[in-house]
Amino acid sequence: MNDTTTKPQNPPAPVCEARHVWTEFGDVVIHRDLNLVMERGEIMALVGGSGSGKTTLLRHIVGLTEPSRGEILLFGENLHALERERRQRLMTRLGMLFQQGALFSALSVFDNIAFPLRELKQFDEETIHTLVMHKLALVELEPQHASLLPAQLSGGMIKRVGLARALALEPELLVLDEPTAGLDPDRSSKFVALIKQIKQTLGLTVLFVTHDIDTLIAMSDRVAVLADKHIITACSLEALGEVDHPFVTNFFQGIHARMERS
Amino acid sequence: MGTLVMKFARHMIDFVQLIGLLLLEMLYLLRRPSAFPWREFMANIFKSGVTALPVTGLLGFMIGIAMSYLMSSQLRTFGADIFIVNILGLSMIRELGPILMAILVAGRSGSAMTAQIGVMRVTEEIDALTTMGVSRILRIVLPKVLGLTFVAPFLVLWTSFWGLAGGALSANTELGLSLRFFFDYLPMVVEPVNLTLGLVKGVLFGFVVTLVACHFGLRILPNTESLSASTTSSVVTAITSVILLDAAFAILTRGIGV
Repeated sequence: MNDTTTKPQNPPAPVCEARHVWTEFGDVVIHRDLNLVMERGEIMALVGGSGSGKTTLLRHIVGLTEPSRGEILLFGENLHALERERRQRLMTRLGMLFQQGALFSALSVFDNIAFPLRELKQFDEETIHTLVMHKLALVELEPQHASLLPAQLSGGMIKRVGLARALALEPELLVLDEPTAGLDPDRSSKFVALIKQIKQTLGLTVLFVTHDIDTLIAMSDRVAVLADKHIITACSLEALGEVDHPFVTNFFQGIHARMERS
Repeated sequence: MGTLVMKFARHMIDFVQLIGLLLLEMLYLLRRPSAFPWREFMANIFKSGVTALPVTGLLGFMIGIAMSYLMSSQLRTFGADIFIVNILGLSMIRELGPILMAILVAGRSGSAMTAQIGVMRVTEEIDALTTMGVSRILRIVLPKVLGLTFVAPFLVLWTSFWGLAGGALSANTELGLSLRFFFDYLPMVVEPVNLTLGLVKGVLFGFVVTLVACHFGLRILPNTESLSASTTSSVVTAITSVILLDAAFAILTRGIGV
């Protein structure tokens, strides 16, 4: 899996690919020659200790930051190498749910979800209304919630609205930063079920960061482990048991205990 | 001392970078005029311009009254009553109007802009915008800068007008100069170029205040200490730079209009 040497670009490029990525802040090295490939339709979890650079990697992938060396390819293209309009078009193919939701606090729930749609300048208000209501229903929120402001929502609802906004443009890649952080166990398992169900309906590729073992077990097809400044393995949960690395062994024991209980 | 110089240098680098980014966005807008953020531009004109009218007008009026009152008592001792129009006209139109406007706008809108951008950074709203393919400079910084720069000369005009009105009123009660005479005599003793200078200063000050506000807003870190420190620095830096610029401007234009 660590082998990501030159692959043919045409048919089908991986959804997301990190090639020899280095991230350095001054003297501090965050990522050292990191490689990762995500295939279409899979749900990949990204795990690693605190401060191991998971969020930084996520931010690289969605184009918020740029690695100091190496490149990140989305659908076979490097975001930062593209000129503005093509980059914007490429970015509509991915949706991101931030840890705290990152809803626009000055806008209502409706306007939040409508925002990416309005940005495209392709739909009239009536179509936008239909689309927003559809997205609200998709994340199991009631139509009357549309007029609320983000400050009036509970933590779980904020995540749902954030998800609806991330899904507004029907992206192919959905990136989630700690999707269940801050939710109680009941809400969090409901949210996981919701994401899985949406993934089924829309045929998404999902990448998420988590610290929560339950979420990891419930959602992931593959787990990418970020330790020692690179991805040490990206394999199924079961195969993690055979990886010999202190972080993985430690982590896997937790998973194992949890799996046996359930 | 060394760290202070380093800090200042880092600020300057970021500041120049911000100006550069802003210029790039303007070039982009020349090619794609349809991408101009009209909504945000208008909203900023309303928020920093229209809603500032009462307070700038009132302040100008009060300062006008106070200055005129003090000057008239001085001038009367020399029997030079009539010069109140010259002094008041020149100082209001050329100096006080733009400076009062800049200080009020820095305190009112500058601080609000810094805090707003800072909170948007902390709540990751700016990152969310970026992941939707929206440029934060184009959508957040540019409409603020252009909006306030556009509306500032009008605010200067408004503040100066109320300053003169207050001065004329005070001169009327103190020296018995009629309002009619005051405003008839004003254009004869104050060259129109002074008004141009005042308006140019207005544009310049508006631009500097917003740019400083956005610069500090974009540097805010996710903690309350940083938010309050940046907002304070934003206002203090904006007012200081405006006064420094004003001094430089006064020296450069000393031969014009006086």
